Amino acid sequence: MTPSPDLSPADVRTLAATLGLHPTDDDLEEVTHRLNAMRDALAALASLPLDTAEPAPPTP
Amino acid sequence: MTDLAFTSGAELAAQIRDKRLSPVAVVRAYLDRIERLDGTLHAYITVAREQALAEAERAEQAVARGDRLGPLHGVPYAVKDQIDTLGLRTTAGSRLLADNVSTIDAPVITRLRAAGAILLGKLNLTEFALGGTLEFPFGQPRNPWNVDHDPGGSSAGSGVAAAAALAAVTLGEDTGGSIRSPASNCGAVGLRPTWGLVPRAGCIPLCWSMDAIGPITRTVEDAALVLSVIAGPDPADPQMRQRPPDDVLSGLRAGVGGLRIGVVKELTDGSDTDPEVRSAVLAAAETLRKLGATVDEITLPLVPLAGAVFMALADSEGAGAHQPWLRTRAGEYDPATRRRLLAASLLPTAAYHQASRARVLITREVLGALDRFDVLLSPTQPGPAPPIASGKRRVTSKADAGGRFFTRRSYTTPFNLSATPAISLPCGFTAAGLPIGLQLAGRRYDEATVLRAAWAYEQATPWHERRPPQ
Repeated sequence: MTPSPDLSPADVRTLAATLGLHPTDDDLEEVTHRLNAMRDALAALASLPLDTAEPAPPTP
Repeated sequence: MTDLAFTSGAELAAQIRDKRLSPVAVVRAYLDRIERLDGTLHAYITVAREQALAEAERAEQAVARGDRLGPLHGVPYAVKDQIDTLGLRTTAGSRLLADNVSTIDAPVITRLRAAGAILLGKLNLTEFALGGTLEFPFGQPRNPWNVDHDPGGSSAGSGVAAAAALAAVTLGEDTGGSIRSPASNCGAVGLRPTWGLVPRAGCIPLCWSMDAIGPITRTVEDAALVLSVIAGPDPADPQMRQRPPDDVLSGLRAGVGGLRIGVVKELTDGSDTDPEVRSAVLAAAETLRKLGATVDEITLPLVPLAGAVFMALADSEGAGAHQPWLRTRAGEYDPATRRRLLAASLLPTAAYHQASRARVLITREVLGALDRFDVLLSPTQPGPAPPIASGKRRVTSKADAGGRFFTRRSYTTPFNLSATPAISLPCGFTAAGLPIGLQLAGRRYDEATVLRAAWAYEQATPWHERRPPQ
């Protein structure tokens, strides 16, 4: 997964609204930082051979 | 009374069975300590004082009658306030559930009651078992070794209550380290069992694929004893293993002769690992070698990615579970919980899917290592308990969020992702007097070997004998 451009606070507000979620102005900055950081961290997974591993539940 | 409170659960049960100790006296000893210390430590959300004393009276009568007694008869315990207990509130550490009174006992509670244990109350936690709570609605839990330091989470109260002898034994729940982190920070023993070994019904969920209930205690034997009571099939939960659990008690004292122990390089030598922690953990490995184990280094190259993979899965699953309240009652969450769940709500499903695939790769790597080794050894946490104040600051940038939550090395989650058992037990103290935790992980459903190695180490070292100043 190629890292996408960072989302802006306005992007995050719009995206959240589509889910019926409404971050306060006070929350919006941190939610944006967290989401962008998580997307960056997960972009690193693209270097793994993910197509060799089907998702599976933990086996009891 | 302090010595009585610090007596192990196994020893209390033995003395009660032999009529050398009164269950009422034992319960009173803990209630006295709670009254004296918990105004500072905030381990408890609810203390069931009258109920506990009534149960103790009945326990005493049962002993006097010569009834058949359970393995924890008369032993006072407390549980993370995420687990249902009939007639008591279960808050999950949240204002949203401040008045939520349980109408059932969770299966683990039913089993502890049947074993004769006496419930003292419900223990504090970070909100909904996520980490990073800024404002604890029921009081800021504090580390008994230094009250300005973090007791760890999410089972904060369970770690504090065990370490400070505010209960004989406790239960926590571990999705990403929530039993082992407080055990490490507080100098206690915390066992996260294999996913699927202990019933999860009646536990407010965070992440369906990783939540696991387990003991936090002061001794390895007590962890084994509590596990032996709570483990086993739950016919109502098809995700559990539907066969009797292995015996974890009879081989506890068998020693580590012949065991192969792998020291996880990425977690022990990693740049995140505090030098005092590294030194204590390597000394623990050497102790186990001297006790007869074969000790070698093992490298797990995918482990540095475990934290990000875990966060993607656990936070997404948690966000999914909280969507209705995030829409209608968002203002009642702690700000840190709300912001974390809101961010996770917006993560693309493709990212969850990729993280699910990465989880399989990490699992293969961990299970592959456990083909070669019986036990994997590492620090439980990169450092000792940090100051409480250090976890209270706002996220100021993407880099700050990345470093604090997503790219930092996670020491506990490799074993949550791979559904394997792992224990934390004390392996030393820093120069500042804070406990250091040793993590031992094993094969799925092989808690017996993990506990056997932990018991051997514990008995060879003095760390479990120290008591916190509080």
